[in-house]
Amino acid sequence: MISIQLILLIIFGLVAIWFGWRVFMTSSMVRSALSLLGSMVAIGALFLVMEAEFLGVLQIMMMGTEMSIMAVFMMMYMMDPGGLGNMDMSHQKNLSIAAGVAVTVLITGAVLFADWGTIVTQVPSPHEQNRLLGMEILKRSMMIFETAGVTILTGMIASIAVALSIKSSREK
Amino acid sequence: MELLITALIIAAILFGIGLYGALSQTNLVMIMMGIELMLGAAMVNLVAFWRYLHPEAFSIQMFVLVAMTVMALEGAVGFAIATQRFRTSGSVEMEESAELKG
Amino acid sequence: MTPFLNGFIISLLFVGGVYVVAVLERWSMTGNVNWPGPARSFYLLFAQEEIKTRKHDKVFFETAPILFIGVILLTISILPFGRGSVMVDLGTGALFINAALVYVMVSLLMVGWAVNGVYAMVGGWRALAQLIAYSMPVVMVLTATVMRAESMFLTDIVESQQSLWNILYQPVGFMLFYISALAITFLPPFDLPVAEGELAGGVWADLTGARKLLFRLGRLTLVLTLSVAVVVLYLGGWMGPWLPGFVWTFLKTFLVATSFFAIGRYMPRIRHDHLLEYNWKYGVPLALYNIFQVGIVLLL
Repeated sequence: MISIQLILLIIFGLVAIWFGWRVFMTSSMVRSALSLLGSMVAIGALFLVMEAEFLGVLQIMMMGTEMSIMAVFMMMYMMDPGGLGNMDMSHQKNLSIAAGVAVTVLITGAVLFADWGTIVTQVPSPHEQNRLLGMEILKRSMMIFETAGVTILTGMIASIAVALSIKSSREK
Repeated sequence: MELLITALIIAAILFGIGLYGALSQTNLVMIMMGIELMLGAAMVNLVAFWRYLHPEAFSIQMFVLVAMTVMALEGAVGFAIATQRFRTSGSVEMEESAELKG
Repeated sequence: MTPFLNGFIISLLFVGGVYVVAVLERWSMTGNVNWPGPARSFYLLFAQEEIKTRKHDKVFFETAPILFIGVILLTISILPFGRGSVMVDLGTGALFINAALVYVMVSLLMVGWAVNGVYAMVGGWRALAQLIAYSMPVVMVLTATVMRAESMFLTDIVESQQSLWNILYQPVGFMLFYISALAITFLPPFDLPVAEGELAGGVWADLTGARKLLFRLGRLTLVLTLSVAVVVLYLGGWMGPWLPGFVWTFLKTFLVATSFFAIGRYMPRIRHDHLLEYNWKYGVPLALYNIFQVGIVLLL
């Protein structure tokens, strides 16, 4: 059954895979970071096709900010952000290609030969989904949400502490 | 059924590409890009399971939110480590970070 | 009035609105109201020769203006101009505004990098810092308006202001959204990325011709779009006595846009570190306080 959802899934999936492959095949660093952004936007579009509207919009929004920060960090720390030198910076290439292909084949095998049960076709509307997700967060998963909040705070403090320069305190 | 299998195979290929990147790149920022691709593939898997098998269980969407939080956080902490490496040794290549000292 | 006629009139009013905003921008810079000014500038820029810098990044140079304009057009399509006059009534409309503003930032970064010039790159980095910073209060005050409406549909947010407009219900939120809207469209006094005197034109210093026209026109359309967003979220949208809904929306939008440019005329440019300090040290805690206050008032 070729439905519109299947066609859109295949299109956005191929876009995500192509951008993901381009991340590691291009020599310009900024193009690499923005190509990862393209892949993440395609993944967000996949969420929208699979009718998880809030998650799709959230993914697209967050990945925009994150990938542009990554692009700025690439410009700061890499020696050739423009990619005009054409250097291949990778090691143990054969092992990693073998690992990537082996993992893909294993997962595809597990997917094709498992019994998934019946497919449900009725999904709540986006407005109803937002309400139910909010109820879920604040009733059953409240503990997880609060832990995530405290983890974010710890992550912020830890990253600032790691990135602070210790030389200024030594000069005193 | 084809919808579920298509989505899962797309996620599998993305995961494989991410694993290739995380293992083969020498630069910390590129390794982090590989990890983000793997997390993205896991999220596609989760949303496919939510949509096609259990659309009434919203704890799956909560899991996706937690995975997005983890993506943002490991990006932040990874960049902080990259800043510190750059400050002490002048580059973020992981080949030069084989020593425990410095 | 049939929906088609409504939609047609709203589109005409919107294009006229962009022209009025262009006249207002010239007034904020020079002090004269020059009505044929924008038409002449449009024609001159359109007919100008297109100069490309050496070794520019081809992919981003071509993609950035299209992304900029595309994102702004998407934002316009989800905003309600009148009762029932919205192109796409998105279920997560309030979040979509913020998502679109992030891609404005990405396109500015792209164009700053692509032209391979120092002034453009510095302007792009300033735009990145400014736009990331001022997107944070936007998402939090949007959450407060969604809390009152109990739904993310933009039409529901307008409907929830039947009794009392949000500007009186959440004054702190209104101030924060107003200032963030000024900063996101980098209007003076927040116009460091395109600083005329300081950075030789900033982000679009090396652009000429039709590409520069796309950016300047897109920025004016963004100003109008954010004014409509302020009106929808805080000033009651289409509500008002005898005139039809969309006329009220455009009147209120005109007031908001004039106030944007009046502030730009009479205030000096804010320094970069003050800009970021006002946001992170004062803006974000105030936004959290806004959510707290709205929550308490809602529960009473």
